[in-house]
Amino acid sequence: MTKPALQLAIMGLAVPAALSAQGGLQLEARALLLGTVMRPTPLRTTLREFRLVQPVVMVSIEPLAGLVGRLTFNAEAWTLAKGELTAGAWGEGFVDRRHPHTAWHELLISGSTAIPCGRVGCRVGLFAGKGFVPFGSDDPMSRPIAAYPVNHHLAQILERAVVAGQASIGPVAIEASLFNGDEPERPWQWPKISRFADSWSGRVTVNPFRGLELSASVARVASPEARVGTGPTQQKIHFAVRPQGTLGRTTLGGLAEWARTTEVDGVFRFHSLLAEGWAARGDHRVAIRFERTERPEEERVTEFREVRPRIDNSLLGVTRWTLLTANYGYRGAAGRFSVEPFVEGTIGSIAEIAGGIFEVASTYGGTTVKRVTLGMKLAWRDSGHRMGRYGILGHPGSQQHQHQKDDR
Amino acid sequence: MRGIWWLFAGVVAQSACSDSPGPEPVKPAGVAIGSGQHGLVGDPLPFPLIVSVTKDGRAIPGQAVTWAVASGSGTFSAPGGATDSLGIAKTTFTPGVAGAHRVTADIGGTALVSFDATAVVNRPPTEVAVVLAEPGHFIHDTFVRDGIAFACSWNNGLILYDVGNGIKGASPAHPIEISRVLTAANGVAGGIQVHNAWWFHNPVKAEQRYVFVGQEGPGVIGASSAGDIHVVDVSDLVHPVEVGFVTVAGAGTHNFWMDEARQILYAAYYNAGVVAVDVSGTLAGDLSSRIIAQATPGGAGSTYTWGVQLSGGSLWSIDMLTGLWKLDPATLATRGGGNNVPNRLSSDFSVRGNFAYTGTFPGKGLKGDHITVWQVDGASPVLRDSLRLPDVNLVSDLQASDDGRILVATAQSAGTSGLWVFSLADPAHPVLIGRTAVSVNLHTGQLAEIGGRLYVFAARVSGATAMQVWDVTP
Repeated sequence: MTKPALQLAIMGLAVPAALSAQGGLQLEARALLLGTVMRPTPLRTTLREFRLVQPVVMVSIEPLAGLVGRLTFNAEAWTLAKGELTAGAWGEGFVDRRHPHTAWHELLISGSTAIPCGRVGCRVGLFAGKGFVPFGSDDPMSRPIAAYPVNHHLAQILERAVVAGQASIGPVAIEASLFNGDEPERPWQWPKISRFADSWSGRVTVNPFRGLELSASVARVASPEARVGTGPTQQKIHFAVRPQGTLGRTTLGGLAEWARTTEVDGVFRFHSLLAEGWAARGDHRVAIRFERTERPEEERVTEFREVRPRIDNSLLGVTRWTLLTANYGYRGAAGRFSVEPFVEGTIGSIAEIAGGIFEVASTYGGTTVKRVTLGMKLAWRDSGHRMGRYGILGHPGSQQHQHQKDDR
Repeated sequence: MRGIWWLFAGVVAQSACSDSPGPEPVKPAGVAIGSGQHGLVGDPLPFPLIVSVTKDGRAIPGQAVTWAVASGSGTFSAPGGATDSLGIAKTTFTPGVAGAHRVTADIGGTALVSFDATAVVNRPPTEVAVVLAEPGHFIHDTFVRDGIAFACSWNNGLILYDVGNGIKGASPAHPIEISRVLTAANGVAGGIQVHNAWWFHNPVKAEQRYVFVGQEGPGVIGASSAGDIHVVDVSDLVHPVEVGFVTVAGAGTHNFWMDEARQILYAAYYNAGVVAVDVSGTLAGDLSSRIIAQATPGGAGSTYTWGVQLSGGSLWSIDMLTGLWKLDPATLATRGGGNNVPNRLSSDFSVRGNFAYTGTFPGKGLKGDHITVWQVDGASPVLRDSLRLPDVNLVSDLQASDDGRILVATAQSAGTSGLWVFSLADPAHPVLIGRTAVSVNLHTGQLAEIGGRLYVFAARVSGATAMQVWDVTP
């Protein structure tokens, strides 16, 4: 039996057992069907491709009050083995193509309970398993624009074996976690348990009033790009503002974030500034995103793959991607099933900012980015789960959870 | 008006009835590109076979061309097809047997041009040992001398192995660790980052006391670098100890060479070019004041020197940005060369006799899949040949054997590359005679003669990281 088959078999037994347990159960699924045309690419031509991306099945079960189990199965192992053509994408050995996520994207259990602390309300919580560590913003998969931003590896830390403690006092929630630094190399790979606790993160989330969420995160990630542990350590910080509200019959939301990752004792610094906003009225949805993110350029073994593990601590250069992306979708629903055809476009530019031998023009044949995607989002019971928010941040009574409800 | 029509009709009639022969129809002509290649049986030849088809000096697009084996045996990637808009058709030939081959590009069943190729059966190097790196570590480079391998283990120090010296009764097939030393980080970001080494045999003092260790700190290739030269005292091989260091502000060291008789260490120093250090006498503490010469052959801002080597009374340096330079070993002044690899980035090199072999680094929109052959007995290097290593992304290390019989190259790629061995029977035109078929990246390979046989000690930096030893005795 192959390893993926073995994993599926185990989950095939575990999930029905979980489902048979008493308590709240929620099952949902979604996928995006995309047709994309983009240039420039490292093949120095315009590329076109059709892909099924983000095919996930999500199970949430609450067998006991305050205890939540969450499983997100991601089938990109099958649909996206060679990655997704995305402007500026990088990470986990892929470059200029977004890497496929691991099959077991989230597999966590979280618990939280109220504790007496006066009138403001206090909770403590814990979550453990494989998933997002408390750092940064929501996964792009749970945001309205289909294409992942360049800053995915600066603004989220995901698919790790994580144990996190949480506490909240009124509108302020504090989280701290330990996890393994290694990023996955293959969709069926599990976190390297021997490296558990070689990395840590912390996040403070504040909801000063309904409709506004502020967060600040910090993390130390050991050797993320070299699973054996020989790579440089990253220091990460992230700040975000996330407004949410309604204007008449229009639901509005946004995210503004600034992130910085430093490597090799601060020698390399990569910054990201991202602002996005979205609006929904009736069945119509629009979203727009501006991003200015810096990316390391490393030695490639093919046009779309980099040498892994890294051999030394040198880069070929650093590029800055300035991109503007807009999306319009029309949502049609039939019961719990929804279909949302959409059109999405990106324009922008690539620039070299640190010297070195990497040349944008000779690599891509141009410096101006243009991408158009026609897509269809298919969803069954889309709860608007904010990937990366568990425990007290996902508790029905929390102000943070209220944001999830507003997002739907 | 009617007269014109009668005139036209008359011309047509005369043409139709004429018995005199007209001019011979012009036949297509062809130019063959890619003849004279050497390859391995079962491997595609490094370069495609190309025919340019013209008629009356003009390219013929859409002309059907078929490829045929006139002598020998083999297969084509495309056995036939039409010429493109420039009148060009091409294919890749894979020899099926050893020996000479003749391939023709045919039009209408007639050979237009022919190509000659020669193939040999792959004689892959014989693996004799794999010394796995400790978990979480990898070896970057190895220096072998007198049966001792100095393995540069990136973040856990210089490890000394007996590989035939006798101190531990070991052999190349069974290396045994003698000792190790953790060199200092010296405040360089990223830590000790042990990159390369040179064991100094001092003929003046008849001692083998010092090993120079290169530290490769973080940098942006082509622009910045960091890292010191560390001096390790190995007078007691079982208890090596660091005793000194050399720092160059704003730059980091890379590969070394020595003029041992003159007690000078030459270090490639990336953006600081080439540095010469007086290493006579006792070495201790900060030795930066012993730098006796420094040069940036390509000029400040256009120099990023990978390696240096003494040969034929000159110091040769290979610069990633500006190519192969010939320097005065005493002053480091330029004697010739430079700016001679305009379309590519250079990597490692090796000079032997009248020839130099330089590798390529990926960049400028091209893979680093070439080895360039230079004749170096004149005032400046003269290009003599260019070898292509298919599927290779970076020629990461090159070394010609001291006896001048073979050239070995390590390579990094996405496919099966590893170690390539070329015959230097004709040093101007190396011929591939063997290569490994392992899907790992080899970053460096050091030739060493031990017990009458020739070995490569290579650094395997992907998969199960290791020091991997091959017997490459011709």
